[in-house]
Amino acid sequence: MNYPIRTHALTRRYGGTVALDGLDLEVPEGSIFGLVGPNGAGKTTAIKVLMNLQRPSSGRAEVLECDSVRLGPSHFAQIGYVSENQKLPGGMTVEGFMNYLRPFYPTWDDALADELIRQFDLPRTRKLRHLSHGMFMKAAMASSLAYRPKLIVLDEPFTGLDPLVRDELIEGLLPRTENTTVFISSHDLSEIESFASHIGFLDRGRLQFSEEMGSLAARFREVEVTLERPAAIPQQWPATWLNAQQSAAVIRFVDSQFEAERTMAEVERLFGGGLQVAVNPMPLRAIFVTLAKAGRKAAA
Amino acid sequence: MRQALHILKKDVRHLWIEIAVVLIATGLLVFIDTPRAFWLSNAPLPQTVGATLVSYLLPVAWWILIVRAVHAETLTGDREFWQTRPYSWRSLLAAKALLVALFVNLPMLAAQAMIVQQQGFSLSAEIPSLLWNQVLLTVVFVLPVAAIAALTTGIIQFVVMVLVLFVSLMLLSMRFMMFAAAFVGGGWRAMEWIRTYYDLLVIAIGAAAALLWQYARRRTLGARVLAAGVAMVLAAGAPISWAAGFGIQSRLSRRAVAESAIRVGYNSKLEFTTRALIDRNQRVNLHIPLQLAGIADDVMVKTEGLVATIEGAGGAVWRADDHPWANAGSTGRLIALQTMVDESFYEKVKDQSVRVRGYLYVTLYGNPQVTKVPFGDRTVPVPGMGICAASAVPGAPYFLTCRSAFRPEADLVSVSFSASPDVVDYSPRRPISYSPFPAELSIDPVTPYVAYSTFKAPAPDAIQGRPLDAVTVEALEPVAHVRAPLTIDGLRLAQFEARLK
Repeated sequence: MNYPIRTHALTRRYGGTVALDGLDLEVPEGSIFGLVGPNGAGKTTAIKVLMNLQRPSSGRAEVLECDSVRLGPSHFAQIGYVSENQKLPGGMTVEGFMNYLRPFYPTWDDALADELIRQFDLPRTRKLRHLSHGMFMKAAMASSLAYRPKLIVLDEPFTGLDPLVRDELIEGLLPRTENTTVFISSHDLSEIESFASHIGFLDRGRLQFSEEMGSLAARFREVEVTLERPAAIPQQWPATWLNAQQSAAVIRFVDSQFEAERTMAEVERLFGGGLQVAVNPMPLRAIFVTLAKAGRKAAA
Repeated sequence: MRQALHILKKDVRHLWIEIAVVLIATGLLVFIDTPRAFWLSNAPLPQTVGATLVSYLLPVAWWILIVRAVHAETLTGDREFWQTRPYSWRSLLAAKALLVALFVNLPMLAAQAMIVQQQGFSLSAEIPSLLWNQVLLTVVFVLPVAAIAALTTGIIQFVVMVLVLFVSLMLLSMRFMMFAAAFVGGGWRAMEWIRTYYDLLVIAIGAAAALLWQYARRRTLGARVLAAGVAMVLAAGAPISWAAGFGIQSRLSRRAVAESAIRVGYNSKLEFTTRALIDRNQRVNLHIPLQLAGIADDVMVKTEGLVATIEGAGGAVWRADDHPWANAGSTGRLIALQTMVDESFYEKVKDQSVRVRGYLYVTLYGNPQVTKVPFGDRTVPVPGMGICAASAVPGAPYFLTCRSAFRPEADLVSVSFSASPDVVDYSPRRPISYSPFPAELSIDPVTPYVAYSTFKAPAPDAIQGRPLDAVTVEALEPVAHVRAPLTIDGLRLAQFEARLK
């Protein structure tokens, strides 16, 4: 399998602060990979290193089989990068910007560019500096899709957008991801859970996990055990059971490695048999919050 | 190249206002300068003020254009759209260089060419000067500005960085004092170009390196450290002594003159001018007349400096080599060693037989060329002065008005307003340079000089004999810069002692 993005022990420090701490990541070709994590987790730093906007302090990143620090024009001709913080030439009109970019890309598709402008309802003659945030992001997206890039890297593209614009962006992006790998960062899993095929969870610069959405949803379950009488949470608590909470005789936790038989056996070992146990699937947002809370608790 | 042209087209479209301002200011320079009356000293005030304003406005207009062009694709930070687009740094840099060449250098080259041609100079003869002036303009006005722009994000940051660099440079270096000294007669005088070109070389290499590095790697911190390093090197000044500078000048002489061909000794004919004058601060001013031998009669000598060691018979030694230009006094061929020694040293050696060893640094002027400039509107090319015209108005002094293009000649010039050309009435005092380069940095390429008689032209009915019909100008060009050995033996200083009361 090819990996358009691959990092090994990637570390980025700012003075004494470690923003990325030994990141090992593989993004499969053709996937829509969501890199999620709370604010300050290191997502933007990771993307900036991948795009050669910053140099790694140590470790290595490869993008389209090229060391990220050597990315050049031939690579960027195959990469579409959109960031909420990006500065576009405000003095250009939407159409002027698209026309200006055209000669830079051998694969630029005029018809597609035109279609994107229409689909995003972009005002062709308005200067970029006069666009609303939503329009600005749509213009950035259109200018990054019009040459059918092999890799699309989106850094928090939906932040600050209303749901309508977010949906418009997604609707513009998804039909054009055939033969394309999409790497998208977000601090809100719900923004991308509907279309991401893979998820990586980054917290305090460390990758907590990286896997397919299907297996992620399958291995997280909220478990509720109703005891005969109130009892303390056992000391031998499995490390994969997160966010344990007790309310009278009810104990709730999230099993991050759920397998029905093994989980039930473990419950029986800790609390005894014949108990009432409820197992519920979790929405991805709840998984994300659980992981974030568990991470903070571990750090404290 | 195609990408460079594409970026250039974009910049031209977006910076048309800045480009228009540069072109208008350049046009104004031509507009003011070419129709200006030949005698610039008599030009109407608005034109003179206008010319001065334009010469300040133009560099500011260039700087704004250059900074805005570089900042169109800001190199600092990591949020610029172009950084993740298929830009080649070489194309980007080439686009900016082309913009500067097209809208700074080329218009200025054309403007200066028009001005010098309109003012009567031969364009073909001035081509080397025109081109060299573009090199200087680029080094002084373009490269440093482009380099600082490449290290900053916006115009405010640019201005702050320029101020910080300028103030640091001034504070860090004693060069400020030297700079000030240049106006009151710094010791390097006509050789100052050596230190100037050292600074220009440091600026050119440093700014070009910072620019290339920043465009190729976008490592702002490293490039800023490099810029600071360049500023420190500039602040430290040229690591070259006056004597070494003279050595360089000597190698550039038009004529080779052996050191040993000229001998410098004590001038016993002027023994009566020898002095050991003890001042109130217990310092002793020595004045020892010198005689030069081995110089042809038609050669004029200009003393540049002198270093000497004064040795007493008992072994006491005084070195006068700190400020070579201050150790020699001269009036024509009357040259003297003038230095100040401590009284303690003087007391030790004054009754001993003293030896003086050292070198006298001189410039030899030769190849005299005499030109007659007739009174009237006709202009005449005059070696050493450029293009001149002479005017005679009864009741007013005779005037000789000249203008030179790009740089004053280094020649020694004497002007005679008398019927007898041997009577020298005026030796124009003007800054000269021994620089071998064809131009000095200039925006307005033409510089005027005026010489006038100290007496008034007589009325026609009061003229006795043949009326004066022309001004005679004699120019001598510097042919060699020579370090001549100085040897004096057996001088007894006590016999020339005088005390300032």
